[in-house]
Amino acid sequence: MGIDPYEKNWMRVSILLLAVFFVIVTIGGFAMGFQVSGVSDEVDPRTLAQTEPWANPGLREVAPGEYEAYVVAQAWTFNPRVLEVPVGSKVTIYVTSSDLQHGFKVTDTNINMQIVPGQVSKLVYTFDTVGEFPYLCTEYCGTGHATMYGTVKVVAGSGTSGSDANASTSTIASSSGGATTEVTR
Amino acid sequence: MAIIDKPLALPAGEPRRAARPLGVFTRPKEQSGISAWLTTVDHKKIGIMYGSAALFFLLIGGVAALAIRVQLATPNNTFLSGDAYNRMYTMHGTVMVFLVVMPIGAAFANFLMPLQVGARDVAFPRINAFSFWVFFFGGLMLNTSWFLGGGADGGWFNYAPNNGVAFSPSHGIDFWNAGLLIAGIGSLTGSINLITTVLNMRAPGMTLMKMPVFTWMTLVTQFLLLFAIPVITVAQLLLTFDRRFGANFFNVQQGADPLLWQHLFWVFGHPEVYLMILPAFGIVSEIIPTFARKPIFGYPFMVFSGIAIGFMGWGVWAHHMFVSGLGPLSVTAFSVATMFIAVPTGVKILNWMATLWGGKLILNTPMLFSIGLITQFTVGGLSGVSHAIAPSDTQQTDTYYIVAHFHYVLFGGAFFGFVGGVYHWFPKAFGYKLNDTFGKVQFWMMVVGFNLTFGPMHILGLQGMPRRMQTYDDAMGFNFWNLVATIGAFILGVGVMLLLANVAYSYSKWKSAGRPNPGPDPWDARTIEWSIPSPAPSHNFDTDPVVTSLDDFWHRKYQEDENGVVRRVHTGEEIAQPGNGEGVHLPAPSYWPIVLAFGIPIIGYGIIFNLWLCIPGALVVIGALFGWALEPADDLDAPGHDHGHDGPGHDGSGDHAEPELETV
Repeated sequence: MGIDPYEKNWMRVSILLLAVFFVIVTIGGFAMGFQVSGVSDEVDPRTLAQTEPWANPGLREVAPGEYEAYVVAQAWTFNPRVLEVPVGSKVTIYVTSSDLQHGFKVTDTNINMQIVPGQVSKLVYTFDTVGEFPYLCTEYCGTGHATMYGTVKVVAGSGTSGSDANASTSTIASSSGGATTEVTR
Repeated sequence: MAIIDKPLALPAGEPRRAARPLGVFTRPKEQSGISAWLTTVDHKKIGIMYGSAALFFLLIGGVAALAIRVQLATPNNTFLSGDAYNRMYTMHGTVMVFLVVMPIGAAFANFLMPLQVGARDVAFPRINAFSFWVFFFGGLMLNTSWFLGGGADGGWFNYAPNNGVAFSPSHGIDFWNAGLLIAGIGSLTGSINLITTVLNMRAPGMTLMKMPVFTWMTLVTQFLLLFAIPVITVAQLLLTFDRRFGANFFNVQQGADPLLWQHLFWVFGHPEVYLMILPAFGIVSEIIPTFARKPIFGYPFMVFSGIAIGFMGWGVWAHHMFVSGLGPLSVTAFSVATMFIAVPTGVKILNWMATLWGGKLILNTPMLFSIGLITQFTVGGLSGVSHAIAPSDTQQTDTYYIVAHFHYVLFGGAFFGFVGGVYHWFPKAFGYKLNDTFGKVQFWMMVVGFNLTFGPMHILGLQGMPRRMQTYDDAMGFNFWNLVATIGAFILGVGVMLLLANVAYSYSKWKSAGRPNPGPDPWDARTIEWSIPSPAPSHNFDTDPVVTSLDDFWHRKYQEDENGVVRRVHTGEEIAQPGNGEGVHLPAPSYWPIVLAFGIPIIGYGIIFNLWLCIPGALVVIGALFGWALEPADDLDAPGHDHGHDGPGHDGSGDHAEPELETV
């Protein structure tokens, strides 16, 4: 069947578009190093309460200005519900679930992970702005879904990346349902 | 060429092959009234029933939608409890997807496709009736869950392990499984039926590349259904075994991986969205050339992009799961695939715009709805392409941005196209036009309501409002746009209801004007379904239309004169068939499709409540199968059927060598 020249040109344009898209996404994926939440580990959700570090979730400082946050999502709360970090901290966030699928989205950041029971989701983020950032469960998990949230508190005054000597005196509180565990440098 | 391309007739003088069947195995004879509808195998009546059933379910899904919006109108609202809210939004999604949008697509496919290919009926008329009834009873069964312990509460996607008995002890999800499994049987049998019809029963001369675009999109849609429905069927059977018989396919506490469900669901779920939108694409591809008075731009491209969507739709499911921990390699691969599928979709959008370009536009109601589809689907398509960019997608996952996106494609796209199609083909189905001014009011009301409802959801999503939240706190900053969305939803609800009001209004006007006939070709249209009277007679075509070109009817009306100027040489009325076919042999009605379909939900209730109930259900099914099989191929004494020689105009040349084919 005869094809109109305009139609032919439009076919060429769309094939070109395919090539352009392919190049853009491939470069974005492999050369620009975008980060998606990855499975860093597998755990047994049945014995989570007896498995370290999930038996004592919260913040750990691994190096000056660098933290690891372990968060357990369960129906329908996060443990801990508050993560308090100094501004400029680089935090590696590990989240797992003890029962259902949950979500972990920190508003106004690019953190959004699906939390699947049995696997540990991991993302690295540097909190550069002082303020409170709620984290919400984004994956539907039943009647209490809307009540499932916590807060990242990014506090000023402890310098950036731990270079300030005063930082050593600050405490990082991670509270879980009233019980507060303090991690002191 | 078709296997069955002309009406079948008994050879004159030959003795009947079967003895007169016994009482219950005779064919029903009713020509009108409710029992005629219950036993009909006419594809047009079945199409109308699909549409009516979908409208009925639309009321249920719409009420659920408005309840959701009332609950979310203000922060910390207590209109619905958390439990009730979860059931509302789950049933809203399930009903709208499986019992509204899909059946409306089936309604158009059933009514229109045989007319567009010049067939008398679909390939298997009784199976066609069965497809409808099993869908309808499955849908009804799903909705009886409202009264039997509450609807499903796991979301239309019912992610594991939240769909297990431990987390959802009521019977809602069992109904979700059983009802959709049953409705899925109808989708499967329907898809096989319609594929066979397109491939085997086209009019002489209608090659594949001379089929109307809607018929092409129907074909692609039915292939998608044929391969997608088994996937969800497997998932739902596994889940049924988990929930009813203690299996552990999705039970995390026994070491199952809940991601299995997500993969199964979305391998079905993504082709599903294409099979919801493609019929609407086909509809506007018919409406736009008609009212732009130009042939469609890039017909082969239009067809091949539809086929490309049909194939590529299978390779993009994991973009629903970018945040579930797939890792960068999988995410990149599915990003590329998602980018790619945007191209054939974009091609269609541009082809419609190029069809409009330079056309003599007639901006009546069907055309307005088609343009509404193009613009609103483009908004939804653009937000969809943004999901191909994984860093952007991970921000939007499970937020209201996604809700906005898929309502723009499925409501602003598919549903607008469907309403346009109703206005366009209404005279062909019912013999009178819907009021155009009324239709325009409805269109603008729906546009305003729709964009007020779903436009703000983009903003809410980017603000971080998660989906499926029963309520939100005053301090979260979601108040204003949620209120706007609720106001929009009510405007939209009234807009949709105006369709029914218009039907009633136009009917009374038409009746008081003495029921004038709109003529076979009220729109000066292009395809051969307009070459038969309105409403379409039960035998469709008096004689087999012979097709020589794409838009065959148009080319018979308009031809180039010696100066190369296109001129009308005939009016549609002049060359339309009169609709007085005689001696046309039609498949006779049958009791058994509805009986067979009725038995299956009984088994479904048995699986949910008491396995003993499966026995009467199975007996009904087996009995109906025997009745189906023993029913005579036709009731030779049915009124209105002349079984002598083919009527005038038929290929009555005496070639009666072919055996009579059973109409299954």
